Amino acid sequence: MKSLLATLALTTALTLPGLAMARPVTLTTTLNNYGGDGAYLALYVTDASGAYVGSLWMAGGKSKYYEHLSDWYRATGGDTAQVNGITGASVGAGRTLEITLDLADALFDAGYTFHIDAAVEDMRDSPNEVAVPLTTNGAGTPVTGRRYIASFAYDM
Amino acid sequence: MKKTLTLLVASTALTAAIGVPAWSAMQAPSDVLRPVAALFDDAPQAIPLVLASDDDDDDRWRDGSRRGHDDDDDDCDDDDDDDDCRGGARSPAPAGSVAPPQNGLFGTGAPPQVQVN
Repeated sequence: MKSLLATLALTTALTLPGLAMARPVTLTTTLNNYGGDGAYLALYVTDASGAYVGSLWMAGGKSKYYEHLSDWYRATGGDTAQVNGITGASVGAGRTLEITLDLADALFDAGYTFHIDAAVEDMRDSPNEVAVPLTTNGAGTPVTGRRYIASFAYDM
Repeated sequence: MKKTLTLLVASTALTAAIGVPAWSAMQAPSDVLRPVAALFDDAPQAIPLVLASDDDDDDRWRDGSRRGHDDDDDDCDDDDDDDDCRGGARSPAPAGSVAPPQNGLFGTGAPPQVQVN
């Protein structure tokens, strides 16, 4: 009886925290009317030392253009496995890309930085267009990109 | 004692009831889930994802400002629709077709939802 009780207590203790280890986070990126074709965007995360941790989204499906997302490309070597299952279409000028992802809680308030590299055909590449620390306090605060991104914000 | 036991059994059963279907759903092929998921997706979410595809052409990227990436000597400039010009690198699997990468950033919950306005 005691062992059953212990087992049940253990399974409950192990399982319930798992339900609270991730949260839905919405990443909203609005592009300027820059007057060009659809933008390729690489959304990725670096750790406190600046080392690449992983990708969150790739807007643009053709890997032959990924070299123009130069910081992301340098960090990953253009490895498309990094964005398998998290790749969508490129984003047109003036459009808003809204992505909702189930992200690990450990990403927030732990020194991680969120980045966006951007590139547009026939226009200048824009690595590190956006770089924002991932903090719970920073949620909902829009930031402006350097060239193509009018605003970016994440909401939890 | 019985009350505690009852509570633990109930909480375990509840957790299993939530967790097992979720786990099964994650393991199932996306094609299996798609008809079910479609019931919960509203149209404005699904349609822009298709319409936003601005990269269907095979236009050349002429950003020669930093890499001398001109139009004439790039093997990627052919008119076919393959994407294997970067050392054989293939284009990534689109969202929804496979699970996101196990890079430690994602939880084990819902697949990515995307919308372009």
